Amino acid sequence: MDRQFYLGLAAAGVRIPIGTHLVLHEHEDHGEILLDGERLGRVVEESARRYGSPLALPLMDLALEKESMLLARGVPVAAIDTFHFDEIPGQDGGFHLTRRMEATCGALHYIATQTDLVPVGMGIGPFSLMTKLIADPITPVFLAGDGCSADEEPEIGLVERLLEISLETILKYLDAQMDAGAKAIIVCEPAANNVYFSPNQLAESFEIFDRYVMRTNEAIRDRLRARGVDLMLHDCGELTDDMVRRLGGLDPAMLSLGSSRRLWEDAALVPKDVVLYGNLPTKQFYSDELISAGRVRQLCDELLRKMRETGHPFILGSECDVLSVPGRERTIREKVEEILRK
Amino acid sequence: MNIDHPLTQAVIAGRRRDVPALVQQCIDAGEAAGDIVEKRLVPGMMEIGERFKRSEIFVPEMLIAARSMKEALKVLEPMLVAAGVRPEHRALIGTVEGDLHDIGKNLVATMWKGANIDVIDLGVNVTPAKFVEAVAQHKPDVVGLSALLTTTMPAMRDAVHAIRESGAKTRVVIGGAPVTQEFAREIGADGYAPDAGSAVDMALGLMRGSSN
Repeated sequence: MDRQFYLGLAAAGVRIPIGTHLVLHEHEDHGEILLDGERLGRVVEESARRYGSPLALPLMDLALEKESMLLARGVPVAAIDTFHFDEIPGQDGGFHLTRRMEATCGALHYIATQTDLVPVGMGIGPFSLMTKLIADPITPVFLAGDGCSADEEPEIGLVERLLEISLETILKYLDAQMDAGAKAIIVCEPAANNVYFSPNQLAESFEIFDRYVMRTNEAIRDRLRARGVDLMLHDCGELTDDMVRRLGGLDPAMLSLGSSRRLWEDAALVPKDVVLYGNLPTKQFYSDELISAGRVRQLCDELLRKMRETGHPFILGSECDVLSVPGRERTIREKVEEILRK
Repeated sequence: MNIDHPLTQAVIAGRRRDVPALVQQCIDAGEAAGDIVEKRLVPGMMEIGERFKRSEIFVPEMLIAARSMKEALKVLEPMLVAAGVRPEHRALIGTVEGDLHDIGKNLVATMWKGANIDVIDLGVNVTPAKFVEAVAQHKPDVVGLSALLTTTMPAMRDAVHAIRESGAKTRVVIGGAPVTQEFAREIGADGYAPDAGSAVDMALGLMRGSSN
Protein backbone atom coordinates (compact mmCIF):
# COMPACT_ATOMS: atom_id res chain seq x y z
CA MET A 1 0.00 0.00 0.00
CA ASP A 2 0.93 3.63 -0.16
CA ARG A 3 3.10 4.78 2.75
CA GLN A 4 0.95 7.92 2.76
CA PHE A 5 -1.90 5.84 4.17
CA TYR A 6 -0.10 5.36 7.50
CA LEU A 7 1.23 8.90 7.54
CA GLY A 8 -2.35 10.03 6.97
CA LEU A 9 -3.59 8.01 9.94
CA ALA A 10 -0.93 9.59 12.10
CA ALA A 11 -1.77 13.07 10.83
CA ALA A 12 -5.46 12.46 11.54
CA GLY A 13 -4.68 11.65 15.18
CA VAL A 14 -6.02 8.12 15.04
CA ARG A 15 -5.58 6.14 18.28
CA ILE A 16 -5.36 2.36 18.07
CA PRO A 17 -5.12 0.01 21.03
CA ILE A 18 -4.47 -3.60 19.98
CA GLY A 19 -7.52 -5.03 21.71
CA THR A 20 -8.39 -8.20 19.82
CA HIS A 21 -7.46 -10.49 22.73
CA LEU A 22 -9.79 -8.50 25.00
CA VAL A 23 -12.68 -8.80 22.59
CA LEU A 24 -12.01 -12.47 21.86
CA HIS A 25 -12.13 -13.33 25.56
CA GLU A 26 -15.54 -11.75 25.93
CA HIS A 27 -16.76 -14.79 24.00
CA GLU A 28 -17.20 -17.87 26.17
CA ASP A 29 -16.18 -20.17 23.35
CA HIS A 30 -13.00 -18.24 22.50
CA GLY A 31 -11.07 -21.47 22.11
CA GLU A 32 -13.40 -22.61 19.37
CA ILE A 33 -13.34 -19.24 17.65
CA LEU A 34 -9.57 -19.57 17.27
CA LEU A 35 -10.18 -22.53 14.97
CA ASP A 36 -12.92 -20.92 12.86
CA GLY A 37 -11.63 -18.44 10.28
CA GLU A 38 -14.86 -16.56 9.68
CA ARG A 39 -15.75 -16.24 13.36
CA LEU A 40 -12.21 -15.16 14.16
CA GLY A 41 -12.47 -12.61 11.36
CA ARG A 42 -15.69 -11.28 12.91
CA VAL A 43 -13.92 -10.88 16.26
CA VAL A 44 -11.05 -9.02 14.60
CA GLU A 45 -13.61 -6.82 12.85
CA GLU A 46 -15.54 -6.27 16.10
CA SER A 47 -12.33 -5.20 17.79
CA ALA A 48 -11.43 -2.78 15.00
CA ARG A 49 -14.92 -1.24 15.01
CA ARG A 50 -15.03 -0.90 18.78
CA TYR A 51 -11.66 0.83 18.93
CA GLY A 52 -12.17 2.89 15.80
CA SER A 53 -9.27 1.34 13.91
CA PRO A 54 -9.14 1.20 10.12
CA LEU A 55 -6.56 -1.57 10.60
CA ALA A 56 -7.96 -5.03 11.37
CA LEU A 57 -5.32 -6.10 13.86
CA PRO A 58 -5.08 -9.82 14.57
CA LEU A 59 -4.14 -11.64 17.75
CA MET A 60 -0.48 -11.41 18.68
CA ASP A 61 -0.06 -15.13 19.07
CA LEU A 62 3.62 -15.94 18.88
CA ALA A 63 3.26 -19.67 19.37
CA LEU A 64 1.83 -20.61 15.97
CA GLU A 65 5.06 -20.93 14.02
CA LYS A 66 6.74 -23.11 16.64
CA GLU A 67 3.71 -25.40 16.65
CA SER A 68 3.78 -25.61 12.86
CA MET A 69 7.48 -26.34 12.70
CA LEU A 70 7.36 -29.05 15.32
CA LEU A 71 4.22 -30.73 13.99
CA ALA A 72 5.94 -30.94 10.60
CA ARG A 73 8.80 -32.73 12.34
CA GLY A 74 6.57 -35.21 14.11
CA VAL A 75 6.80 -33.79 17.63
CA PRO A 76 3.73 -34.90 19.62
CA VAL A 77 1.19 -32.13 20.26
CA ALA A 78 1.48 -32.49 24.03
CA ALA A 79 5.24 -31.93 23.90
CA ILE A 80 5.26 -28.85 21.68
CA ASP A 81 5.02 -26.11 24.31
CA THR A 82 8.11 -27.23 26.17
CA PHE A 83 10.04 -28.84 23.33
CA HIS A 84 13.62 -27.73 22.72
CA PHE A 85 16.06 -28.94 20.12
CA ASP A 86 19.29 -30.25 21.63
CA GLU A 87 20.92 -31.18 18.35
CA ILE A 88 20.93 -29.77 14.85
CA PRO A 89 17.75 -30.94 13.10
CA GLY A 90 18.01 -32.69 9.78
CA GLN A 91 16.46 -31.75 6.48
CA ASP A 92 13.47 -29.47 6.30
CA GLY A 93 10.39 -31.19 7.69
CA GLY A 94 8.18 -29.31 5.24
CA PHE A 95 5.64 -26.68 6.16
CA HIS A 96 2.52 -27.58 8.07
CA LEU A 97 -0.33 -25.07 7.97
CA THR A 98 -1.93 -25.78 11.33
CA ARG A 99 -5.62 -25.39 12.12
CA ARG A 100 -4.88 -22.19 14.01
CA MET A 101 -2.93 -20.85 11.04
CA GLU A 102 -5.74 -21.83 8.67
CA ALA A 103 -8.19 -19.96 10.88
CA THR A 104 -5.93 -16.89 10.91
CA CYS A 105 -5.81 -16.98 7.12
CA GLY A 106 -9.57 -17.50 7.07
CA ALA A 107 -9.97 -14.42 9.25
CA LEU A 108 -7.80 -12.41 6.86
CA HIS A 109 -9.89 -13.60 3.93
CA TYR A 110 -13.03 -12.53 5.76
CA ILE A 111 -11.62 -9.08 6.50
CA ALA A 112 -10.37 -8.68 2.94
CA THR A 113 -13.61 -9.73 1.27
CA GLN A 114 -16.36 -8.77 3.71
CA THR A 115 -15.20 -5.51 5.28
CA ASP A 116 -13.66 -2.17 4.41
CA LEU A 117 -10.85 -2.66 6.94
CA VAL A 118 -7.18 -3.16 6.14
CA PRO A 119 -6.40 -6.87 6.63
CA VAL A 120 -3.30 -7.15 8.79
CA GLY A 121 -1.40 -10.41 9.26
CA MET A 122 0.95 -11.37 12.03
CA GLY A 123 4.12 -13.38 12.42
CA ILE A 124 6.87 -13.91 14.92
CA GLY A 125 10.35 -12.72 13.96
CA PRO A 126 13.01 -15.35 13.17
CA PHE A 127 15.23 -14.50 16.11
CA SER A 128 12.36 -14.63 18.57
CA LEU A 129 11.18 -17.95 17.14
CA MET A 130 14.68 -19.38 17.46
CA THR A 131 14.76 -18.44 21.14
CA LYS A 132 11.71 -20.64 21.70
CA LEU A 133 13.39 -23.66 20.14
CA ILE A 134 16.43 -24.05 22.36
CA ALA A 135 16.76 -24.30 26.14
CA ASP A 136 19.43 -21.59 26.46
CA PRO A 137 19.60 -19.32 23.43
CA ILE A 138 21.41 -16.54 25.27
CA THR A 139 24.76 -18.19 25.90
CA PRO A 140 25.47 -19.26 22.30
CA VAL A 141 24.41 -15.88 20.95
CA PHE A 142 26.87 -14.22 23.33
CA LEU A 143 29.62 -16.68 22.44
CA ALA A 144 29.04 -16.11 18.73
CA GLY A 145 29.22 -12.38 19.37
CA ASP A 146 32.50 -13.00 21.16
CA GLY A 147 33.91 -14.49 17.98
CA CYS A 148 33.44 -18.20 18.74
CA SER A 149 32.57 -20.45 15.81
CA ALA A 150 30.16 -23.35 15.53
CA ASP A 151 33.17 -25.68 15.46
CA GLU A 152 34.31 -24.40 18.84
CA GLU A 153 30.85 -24.23 20.42
CA PRO A 154 28.32 -26.62 18.83
CA GLU A 155 25.40 -24.66 20.34
CA ILE A 156 26.24 -21.85 17.91
CA GLY A 157 25.71 -24.22 15.00
CA LEU A 158 22.36 -25.19 16.50
CA VAL A 159 21.30 -21.55 16.84
CA GLU A 160 22.30 -20.77 13.27
CA ARG A 161 20.50 -23.76 11.79
CA LEU A 162 17.39 -23.00 13.83
CA LEU A 163 17.48 -19.42 12.58
CA GLU A 164 17.48 -20.73 9.01
CA ILE A 165 14.57 -23.09 9.69
CA SER A 166 12.70 -20.35 11.55
CA LEU A 167 12.99 -18.00 8.61
CA GLU A 168 11.78 -20.70 6.19
CA THR A 169 8.72 -21.45 8.32
CA ILE A 170 7.89 -17.80 8.90
CA LEU A 171 8.14 -16.91 5.23
CA LYS A 172 5.79 -19.75 4.31
CA TYR A 173 3.25 -18.65 6.89
CA LEU A 174 3.51 -15.04 5.76
CA ASP A 175 3.02 -16.16 2.17
CA ALA A 176 -0.15 -17.97 3.25
CA GLN A 177 -1.42 -14.84 4.99
CA MET A 178 -0.62 -12.66 1.98
CA ASP A 179 -2.38 -15.19 -0.25
CA ALA A 180 -5.38 -14.84 2.07
CA GLY A 181 -5.46 -11.09 1.57
CA ALA A 182 -3.11 -9.48 4.13
CA LYS A 183 -2.12 -5.98 3.04
CA ALA A 184 0.20 -5.43 5.98
CA ILE A 185 2.01 -7.79 8.31
CA ILE A 186 3.06 -7.18 11.90
CA VAL A 187 6.36 -8.92 12.54
CA CYS A 188 6.94 -9.35 16.26
CA GLU A 189 10.57 -9.58 17.24
CA PRO A 190 10.43 -8.98 21.00
CA ALA A 191 13.47 -11.13 21.78
CA ALA A 192 15.75 -8.80 19.87
CA ASN A 193 16.56 -6.96 23.06
CA ASN A 194 19.22 -6.47 25.69
CA VAL A 195 18.35 -9.67 27.54
CA TYR A 196 19.49 -11.75 24.56
CA PHE A 197 22.16 -9.32 23.38
CA SER A 198 24.53 -7.78 25.89
CA PRO A 199 24.78 -4.01 25.43
CA ASN A 200 28.39 -4.33 26.61
CA GLN A 201 29.14 -6.66 23.72
CA LEU A 202 27.18 -4.56 21.23
CA ALA A 203 29.11 -1.48 22.32
CA GLU A 204 32.15 -3.12 20.77
CA SER A 205 30.45 -4.53 17.69
CA PHE A 206 26.91 -4.89 16.39
CA GLU A 207 27.95 -7.70 14.07
CA ILE A 208 26.07 -10.41 15.97
CA PHE A 209 22.83 -8.38 16.12
CA ASP A 210 23.13 -7.64 12.43
CA ARG A 211 23.81 -11.28 11.61
CA TYR A 212 21.13 -12.86 13.82
CA VAL A 213 18.36 -10.24 13.77
CA MET A 214 18.77 -7.85 10.89
CA ARG A 215 19.68 -10.27 8.12
CA THR A 216 16.62 -12.50 8.63
CA ASN A 217 14.26 -9.56 9.05
CA GLU A 218 15.64 -8.00 5.89
CA ALA A 219 14.65 -11.20 4.10
CA ILE A 220 11.12 -10.83 5.46
CA ARG A 221 10.98 -7.16 4.50
CA ASP A 222 12.09 -8.05 0.97
CA ARG A 223 9.46 -10.79 0.69
CA LEU A 224 6.71 -8.42 1.81
CA ARG A 225 7.97 -5.65 -0.42
CA ALA A 226 7.92 -7.97 -3.44
CA ARG A 227 4.24 -8.61 -2.75
CA GLY A 228 3.39 -4.96 -2.11
CA VAL A 229 2.59 -5.71 1.51
CA ASP A 230 3.60 -3.31 4.28
CA LEU A 231 5.85 -4.24 7.17
CA MET A 232 4.84 -3.24 10.67
CA LEU A 233 7.59 -4.06 13.08
CA HIS A 234 6.96 -4.70 16.76
CA ASP A 235 9.57 -5.05 19.47
CA CYS A 236 8.44 -4.44 23.04
CA GLY A 237 11.72 -5.60 24.57
CA GLU A 238 14.24 -3.38 26.33
CA LEU A 239 16.31 -1.85 23.56
CA THR A 240 19.37 0.30 23.15
CA ASP A 241 19.27 3.34 20.88
CA ASP A 242 21.36 1.53 18.30
CA MET A 243 18.87 -1.34 18.24
CA VAL A 244 16.04 1.12 17.59
CA ARG A 245 18.10 2.79 14.88
CA ARG A 246 18.64 -0.55 13.18
CA LEU A 247 15.00 -1.64 13.45
CA GLY A 248 13.99 1.70 11.96
CA GLY A 249 16.45 1.02 9.17
CA LEU A 250 14.27 -1.89 8.05
CA ASP A 251 11.96 0.87 6.83
CA PRO A 252 8.74 -0.43 8.35
CA ALA A 253 5.55 1.49 7.68
CA MET A 254 5.03 1.44 11.46
CA LEU A 255 7.43 0.73 14.29
CA SER A 256 5.84 -0.39 17.54
CA LEU A 257 7.98 -0.23 20.68
CA GLY A 258 7.57 -1.12 24.34
CA SER A 259 6.89 1.29 27.16
CA SER A 260 10.52 1.32 28.25
CA ARG A 261 11.27 3.59 25.28
CA ARG A 262 10.78 7.34 25.10
CA LEU A 263 9.23 7.62 21.69
CA TRP A 264 9.84 11.36 21.51
CA GLU A 265 13.56 10.62 21.73
CA ASP A 266 13.29 7.63 19.38
CA ALA A 267 11.83 9.97 16.77
CA ALA A 268 15.36 11.19 16.09
CA LEU A 269 16.57 7.61 15.54
CA VAL A 270 14.24 6.47 12.78
CA PRO A 271 13.44 7.73 9.27
CA LYS A 272 10.86 10.50 9.06
CA ASP A 273 8.35 8.39 7.21
CA VAL A 274 8.34 5.53 9.71
CA VAL A 275 5.25 5.98 11.88
CA LEU A 276 6.05 5.38 15.53
CA TYR A 277 3.33 3.47 17.34
CA GLY A 278 2.62 2.84 21.00
CA ASN A 279 3.65 2.73 23.68
CA LEU A 280 1.37 2.98 26.69
CA PRO A 281 2.24 0.45 29.42
CA THR A 282 -0.70 -1.82 28.73
CA LYS A 283 0.99 -4.78 30.40
CA GLN A 284 0.28 -2.96 33.69
CA PHE A 285 -3.36 -2.20 32.95
CA TYR A 286 -4.55 -5.19 34.99
CA SER A 287 -3.51 -3.46 38.24
CA ASP A 288 -4.96 -0.25 39.67
CA GLU A 289 -2.04 -0.07 42.07
CA LEU A 290 0.41 -0.06 39.19
CA ILE A 291 -1.49 2.36 37.01
CA SER A 292 -4.79 4.13 37.45
CA ALA A 293 -7.13 5.22 34.67
CA GLY A 294 -6.20 8.80 35.53
CA ARG A 295 -2.52 8.03 35.09
CA VAL A 296 -3.23 6.43 31.71
CA ARG A 297 -4.93 9.66 30.74
CA GLN A 298 -1.89 11.68 31.86
CA LEU A 299 0.47 9.42 29.93
CA CYS A 300 -1.66 9.76 26.79
CA ASP A 301 -1.60 13.55 27.06
CA GLU A 302 2.13 13.63 27.72
CA LEU A 303 2.96 11.27 24.89
CA LEU A 304 0.78 13.11 22.41
CA ARG A 305 2.21 16.47 23.41
CA LYS A 306 5.82 15.36 23.23
CA MET A 307 5.35 13.56 19.94
CA ARG A 308 3.62 16.60 18.50
CA GLU A 309 6.64 18.66 19.48
CA THR A 310 8.93 16.31 17.53
CA GLY A 311 6.77 16.57 14.42
CA HIS A 312 7.32 12.85 13.87
CA PRO A 313 4.37 10.80 12.59
CA PHE A 314 2.85 8.98 15.54
CA ILE A 315 -0.13 6.81 16.41
CA LEU A 316 -1.06 6.52 20.07
CA GLY A 317 -1.58 2.94 21.14
CA SER A 318 -0.56 0.02 23.32
CA GLU A 319 2.94 -1.26 23.96
CA CYS A 320 1.80 -4.76 22.99
CA ASP A 321 -1.54 -6.47 22.52
CA VAL A 322 -3.80 -5.74 25.48
CA LEU A 323 -4.27 -9.08 27.13
CA SER A 324 -7.45 -10.05 28.92
CA VAL A 325 -6.58 -11.02 32.51
CA PRO A 326 -9.23 -13.14 34.25
CA GLY A 327 -10.94 -11.09 36.95
CA ARG A 328 -9.38 -7.81 35.80
CA GLU A 329 -11.28 -7.32 32.56
CA ARG A 330 -13.24 -4.27 33.69
CA THR A 331 -10.27 -2.18 34.81
CA ILE A 332 -8.34 -3.11 31.67
CA ARG A 333 -11.24 -2.04 29.47
CA GLU A 334 -11.60 1.25 31.37
CA LYS A 335 -7.97 2.08 30.75
CA VAL A 336 -8.20 1.16 27.08
CA GLU A 337 -11.15 3.56 26.87
CA GLU A 338 -8.85 6.28 28.26
CA ILE A 339 -6.56 5.81 25.28
CA LEU A 340 -9.47 6.57 23.00
CA ARG A 341 -10.96 9.46 24.98
CA LYS A 342 -10.14 12.78 23.31
CA MET B 1 34.45 -11.02 50.12
CA ASN B 2 37.70 -11.62 48.27
CA ILE B 3 37.38 -11.84 44.51
CA ASP B 4 41.05 -11.59 43.64
CA HIS B 5 41.74 -15.31 43.37
CA PRO B 6 42.40 -16.44 39.77
CA LEU B 7 39.59 -19.00 39.96
CA THR B 8 37.13 -16.38 41.17
CA GLN B 9 38.27 -14.06 38.41
CA ALA B 10 37.89 -16.79 35.81
CA VAL B 11 34.28 -17.36 36.94
CA ILE B 12 33.50 -13.65 36.83
CA ALA B 13 35.01 -13.30 33.36
CA GLY B 14 33.30 -16.49 32.14
CA ARG B 15 36.59 -18.12 31.11
CA ARG B 16 35.07 -21.58 31.19
CA ARG B 17 37.99 -23.39 29.63
CA ASP B 18 40.44 -22.06 32.24
CA VAL B 19 38.33 -23.16 35.17
CA PRO B 20 39.08 -26.91 35.53
CA ALA B 21 42.84 -26.30 35.71
CA LEU B 22 42.37 -23.50 38.25
CA VAL B 23 40.18 -25.74 40.39
CA GLN B 24 42.82 -28.42 40.20
CA GLN B 25 45.42 -25.90 41.36
CA CYS B 26 43.28 -25.16 44.43
CA ILE B 27 42.92 -28.87 45.15
CA ASP B 28 46.65 -29.41 44.71
CA ALA B 29 47.27 -26.54 47.14
CA GLY B 30 45.28 -28.47 49.75
CA GLU B 31 42.00 -26.55 49.69
CA ALA B 32 38.94 -28.62 50.61
CA ALA B 33 36.23 -28.90 47.97
CA GLY B 34 33.68 -27.16 50.21
CA ASP B 35 36.07 -24.29 50.78
CA ILE B 36 36.69 -23.91 47.07
CA VAL B 37 32.95 -23.53 46.56
CA GLU B 38 32.47 -21.12 49.47
CA LYS B 39 35.63 -19.04 49.11
CA ARG B 40 36.35 -19.09 45.36
CA LEU B 41 33.15 -19.77 43.43
CA VAL B 42 30.35 -18.25 45.50
CA PRO B 43 32.14 -14.87 45.82
CA GLY B 44 32.50 -14.83 42.04
CA MET B 45 28.80 -15.36 41.47
CA MET B 46 27.88 -12.90 44.22
CA GLU B 47 30.05 -10.32 42.50
CA ILE B 48 28.30 -11.08 39.24
CA GLY B 49 24.94 -10.53 40.95
CA GLU B 50 26.11 -7.17 42.31
CA ARG B 51 27.40 -6.04 38.93
CA PHE B 52 24.09 -7.06 37.36
CA LYS B 53 22.16 -5.04 39.94
CA ARG B 54 24.36 -2.04 39.12
CA SER B 55 23.66 -2.61 35.37
CA GLU B 56 27.37 -3.01 34.73
CA ILE B 57 26.72 -6.38 33.16
CA PHE B 58 23.69 -7.97 31.56
CA VAL B 59 21.99 -11.36 31.38
CA PRO B 60 24.41 -12.93 28.87
CA GLU B 61 27.42 -12.17 31.08
CA MET B 62 25.60 -13.71 34.05
CA LEU B 63 24.96 -16.90 32.12
CA ILE B 64 28.53 -17.09 30.88
CA ALA B 65 29.78 -16.77 34.47
CA ALA B 66 27.33 -19.42 35.66
CA ARG B 67 28.55 -21.73 32.93
CA SER B 68 32.08 -21.37 34.26
CA MET B 69 30.91 -22.14 37.77
CA LYS B 70 29.25 -25.30 36.48
CA GLU B 71 32.56 -26.38 35.00
CA ALA B 72 34.14 -26.00 38.42
CA LEU B 73 31.36 -27.96 40.10
CA LYS B 74 31.79 -30.80 37.62
CA VAL B 75 35.31 -31.24 38.95
CA LEU B 76 34.34 -30.74 42.58
CA GLU B 77 31.09 -32.67 42.80
CA PRO B 78 32.58 -36.14 43.44
CA MET B 79 34.69 -34.68 46.24
CA LEU B 80 31.73 -32.80 47.71
CA VAL B 81 29.65 -35.96 47.70
CA ALA B 82 32.46 -38.02 49.22
CA ALA B 83 32.94 -35.43 51.97
CA GLY B 84 29.20 -35.27 52.63
CA VAL B 85 29.17 -31.52 51.93
CA ARG B 86 25.72 -30.26 51.08
CA PRO B 87 24.39 -26.74 50.56
CA GLU B 88 22.99 -25.26 53.74
CA HIS B 89 19.76 -24.09 52.10
CA ARG B 90 17.32 -25.49 49.58
CA ALA B 91 15.02 -23.68 47.18
CA LEU B 92 12.38 -24.79 44.76
CA ILE B 93 11.47 -22.80 41.67
CA GLY B 94 9.03 -22.90 38.79
CA THR B 95 7.07 -20.82 36.29
CA VAL B 96 3.40 -20.86 37.19
CA GLU B 97 0.61 -22.69 35.37
CA GLY B 98 -0.20 -21.43 31.89
CA ASP B 99 3.13 -19.68 31.47
CA LEU B 100 5.88 -21.24 29.38
CA HIS B 101 8.53 -18.56 29.82
CA ASP B 102 11.64 -19.72 31.54
CA ILE B 103 14.40 -17.17 31.06
CA GLY B 104 13.72 -15.26 34.27
CA LYS B 105 13.16 -18.46 36.20
CA ASN B 106 16.38 -19.97 34.84
CA LEU B 107 18.36 -16.86 35.73
CA VAL B 108 17.15 -16.92 39.31
CA ALA B 109 17.85 -20.65 39.54
CA THR B 110 21.34 -20.01 38.19
CA MET B 111 22.04 -17.23 40.65
CA TRP B 112 20.66 -19.22 43.56
CA LYS B 113 22.92 -22.13 42.63
CA GLY B 114 25.77 -19.64 42.40
CA ALA B 115 25.02 -18.66 46.00
CA ASN B 116 25.39 -22.34 46.92
CA ILE B 117 21.70 -22.98 47.38
CA ASP B 118 20.42 -26.43 46.47
CA VAL B 119 17.87 -25.62 43.74
CA ILE B 120 15.10 -27.90 42.53
CA ASP B 121 13.75 -26.59 39.23
CA LEU B 122 10.19 -27.70 38.47
CA GLY B 123 10.27 -26.16 34.99
CA VAL B 124 7.44 -24.22 33.38
CA ASN B 125 3.65 -24.44 33.46
CA VAL B 126 3.71 -25.75 37.03
CA THR B 127 0.30 -26.32 38.59
CA PRO B 128 -0.42 -25.32 42.20
CA ALA B 129 -0.82 -29.02 43.02
CA LYS B 130 2.63 -29.76 41.64
CA PHE B 131 4.15 -26.97 43.73
CA VAL B 132 2.46 -28.36 46.85
CA GLU B 133 3.60 -31.88 46.08
CA ALA B 134 7.19 -30.76 45.50
CA VAL B 135 7.23 -28.64 48.65
CA ALA B 136 6.08 -31.64 50.68
CA GLN B 137 8.72 -33.82 49.07
CA HIS B 138 11.74 -31.51 49.13
CA LYS B 139 10.94 -29.26 52.08
CA PRO B 140 12.59 -26.15 50.60
CA ASP B 141 13.38 -23.08 52.68
CA VAL B 142 12.16 -20.88 49.85
CA VAL B 143 9.88 -21.34 46.85
CA GLY B 144 10.32 -19.05 43.83
CA LEU B 145 7.37 -18.43 41.53
CA SER B 146 7.91 -16.84 38.14
CA ALA B 147 5.48 -15.40 35.58
CA LEU B 148 6.01 -13.33 32.48
CA LEU B 149 2.47 -12.89 31.30
CA THR B 150 -0.13 -10.76 32.98
CA THR B 151 -2.62 -13.44 32.00
CA THR B 152 -0.93 -15.97 34.25
CA MET B 153 -0.71 -13.82 37.36
CA PRO B 154 -3.93 -15.30 38.77
CA ALA B 155 -2.13 -18.67 38.58
CA MET B 156 0.60 -17.19 40.78
CA ARG B 157 -2.00 -16.24 43.35
CA ASP B 158 -3.43 -19.79 43.18
CA ALA B 159 0.02 -21.32 43.70
CA VAL B 160 0.75 -19.15 46.76
CA HIS B 161 -2.67 -19.96 48.16
CA ALA B 162 -2.22 -23.70 47.61
CA ILE B 163 1.20 -23.69 49.30
CA ARG B 164 -0.22 -21.79 52.28
CA GLU B 165 -3.23 -24.09 52.48
CA SER B 166 -0.95 -27.11 52.57
CA GLY B 167 0.44 -25.88 55.87
CA ALA B 168 4.04 -25.78 54.62
CA LYS B 169 6.25 -23.32 56.47
CA THR B 170 8.30 -22.45 53.41
CA ARG B 171 8.73 -18.82 52.35
CA VAL B 172 7.45 -17.80 48.92
CA VAL B 173 9.19 -15.29 46.66
CA ILE B 174 7.71 -14.07 43.38
CA GLY B 175 9.20 -12.39 40.35
CA GLY B 176 8.68 -11.69 36.68
CA ALA B 177 7.99 -8.79 34.37
CA PRO B 178 4.42 -7.99 35.40
CA VAL B 179 4.91 -8.67 39.11
CA THR B 180 5.33 -5.98 41.75
CA GLN B 181 5.86 -5.64 45.49
CA GLU B 182 2.22 -4.61 45.78
CA PHE B 183 1.10 -7.73 43.99
CA ALA B 184 3.30 -9.85 46.26
CA ARG B 185 1.65 -8.34 49.30
CA GLU B 186 -1.78 -8.74 47.77
CA ILE B 187 -1.40 -12.46 47.15
CA GLY B 188 0.36 -13.21 50.42
CA ALA B 189 3.88 -13.87 49.13
CA ASP B 190 6.79 -13.25 51.50
CA GLY B 191 8.84 -11.31 49.03
CA TYR B 192 9.25 -9.88 45.57
CA ALA B 193 12.52 -9.76 43.65
CA PRO B 194 12.75 -7.36 40.71
CA ASP B 195 15.75 -9.15 39.17
CA ALA B 196 17.90 -12.25 39.52
CA GLY B 197 20.56 -10.46 41.56
CA SER B 198 18.00 -9.24 44.07
CA ALA B 199 16.47 -12.72 44.19
CA VAL B 200 19.67 -13.98 45.80
CA ASP B 201 19.55 -11.33 48.54
CA MET B 202 15.85 -11.92 49.04
CA ALA B 203 16.20 -15.71 49.33
CA LEU B 204 19.24 -15.59 51.60
CA GLY B 205 17.56 -13.00 53.79
CA LEU B 206 14.45 -15.09 54.16
CA MET B 207 16.43 -18.28 54.73
CA ARG B 208 18.60 -16.73 57.41
CA GLY B 209 15.52 -15.19 58.97
CA SER B 210 13.70 -18.50 59.08
CA SER B 211 16.68 -20.36 60.53
CA ASN B 212 17.07 -17.86 63.37
